[in-house]
Amino acid sequence: MRHAFKKKIIYCGLIVIALIIFLHPNMNGRRTYDYIEKNNIMVNLHDRIAQNFTSTAIMDCDYRDILFDVTTMSVSLMDGDLIEGHKIKDGGEFYPSECKPKFSTAIIVPYRDRAEQLRGFLVYMHVFLRRQNIHYRIYVIEQVDTKPFNRAKLLNIGAAAAFKAGYPCLVLHDVDLLPLRPANLYACTKCPRHMSSSINKFRFVLPYLNLFGGAIAITSQQYKLINGMSNEYYGWGGEDDDLYARLEVEELKLCRFEPEVSRYHMVAHQTQRKGERKHKVFNYAKNKVNEDGLNTLKYTEVATVLHPLFTHIMVDL
Amino acid sequence: MVNTALTIQELLPYGANKSSNKKLDLDTVLPFIILPILLLIATLSRIITIIVMVIIGMGTLYVVSRPRQKNRSPFFFSWTLSSGICMFLVFELGVLRLLEITQLENFIFLLLLACTCYFFYKMKAIADFELATGSSKGKVYSPVLTSDSHFCQICQIEVNEKFFHSIWWDCCVLRPNYMHFLAGQVFAFGTLLHGVNLGLTTVCQPFIFYGTILMPEDCEDVYYDFELAICFVACMYGVGYLFVISIVLIHQLLVYIPKYSEPQWRKLVNVLNV
Repeated sequence: MRHAFKKKIIYCGLIVIALIIFLHPNMNGRRTYDYIEKNNIMVNLHDRIAQNFTSTAIMDCDYRDILFDVTTMSVSLMDGDLIEGHKIKDGGEFYPSECKPKFSTAIIVPYRDRAEQLRGFLVYMHVFLRRQNIHYRIYVIEQVDTKPFNRAKLLNIGAAAAFKAGYPCLVLHDVDLLPLRPANLYACTKCPRHMSSSINKFRFVLPYLNLFGGAIAITSQQYKLINGMSNEYYGWGGEDDDLYARLEVEELKLCRFEPEVSRYHMVAHQTQRKGERKHKVFNYAKNKVNEDGLNTLKYTEVATVLHPLFTHIMVDL
Repeated sequence: MVNTALTIQELLPYGANKSSNKKLDLDTVLPFIILPILLLIATLSRIITIIVMVIIGMGTLYVVSRPRQKNRSPFFFSWTLSSGICMFLVFELGVLRLLEITQLENFIFLLLLACTCYFFYKMKAIADFELATGSSKGKVYSPVLTSDSHFCQICQIEVNEKFFHSIWWDCCVLRPNYMHFLAGQVFAFGTLLHGVNLGLTTVCQPFIFYGTILMPEDCEDVYYDFELAICFVACMYGVGYLFVISIVLIHQLLVYIPKYSEPQWRKLVNVLNV
């Protein structure tokens, strides 16, 4: 009798524990989420070109074929070299010559100490982006001081440079992410877009719905509206959740393309990305949006160099 | 106060009636201390992981090679339980925390695990019942063994229709619970395979194997972070278990399944004869 009673208690306990674990909604990634249907992408795109950019071509570029492209690019491209005659201008700027692009995008890449990876990234990205018939320029913002890496502040600096050049659309991009699908158009949608929602390293799963890091596309206007990112996140992690909190303050909803299209390859590297994968719960000071961000951005620019494949901005934070 | 000090033995259908002297208790508790410590040590580096796994493997081989009657101890059953619990906790608290497992995958894992537990529980319950009251129990002090009865040196009891004694489950496997044993092994195999695959693809760099099935590819940087390392080590331990279970299953396929199905064949043949 006593024995049976004990058993019952234990079983109930086990079931309850299992249910708690199983139903814990924060512990599950997801393979599917709300996304913009392929057919609706065109109307959702923010078609602007840079202020002082004029194309000599007569025809408008067509993006339908690109959006419905089903090919997957090979990561091994990053080990190769660019073909000759790639028409990429100094500073990593490119626009198609045979048609008039509808989108201008500044790709901003925060960077430090990964020369080999940067080389692979640039080669890959230029091959990838040239297929998309967009006007783009790659900015690499390098932190040359010895402080901990501050990704968010570097992105702010890059954004400021892109504003100066008149780019209407920013893509904030990590150097270790490679987009696999040419259908993932590097242009802004009307809503801020999380582009890297299906990364191989994360088992092609979206870890949590509010994730807004890795590779994102946001219009310059919106980026100014949320006052950029916080300048105070040194070291890895947290700044992307802060960015999401800023979007929420301004009631901007993020959007994504479908998981198949949003596939990314994360290049393996020795440096551990501790903490980055965990959904940390910070007290994001939502009222601090106007006190910390683009309008309080202070740094010393060491040099700006126009390399053949990218604009290199070196800064001391 | 109600006495809440439950030992593992009491929870299970078989262990409760055993005399619980100090030595047995120590044997029961020891695996729950040794195994977590071994797994924790193994998180230090790749070499240490290999060394620990080899030590565990050699220990198992030593146990298996010993004369059977020496292995009369709840230590081994505790080891099985401890392994299961450790791996389960690492999966649910470690791997899941990396937010890369979908709800469906977790659900399938829990379902497989529930099936495994059910079949092994049933196996032990049936053995317990059969040996206590059922028809399988022979005379305890029979001076002569009849042809169809068998003296189990570990249970110290004479049983009819005994197949073998599993020290890892601390239980005689007889004809009535053989199917449960087999189903339990198959489900354990499935659970481990699924869990190890999920764990390794989470901590390592995965690639698409086929459709939505991923396979681990590059596990270079797991030792930098304790959490990744413990998940990785538990997965390696799980791989070891997978290996053992596949050997058990092959052994069953070659030896016991023919034996189990023999009477059915004989019946069929008899029908034809008549």
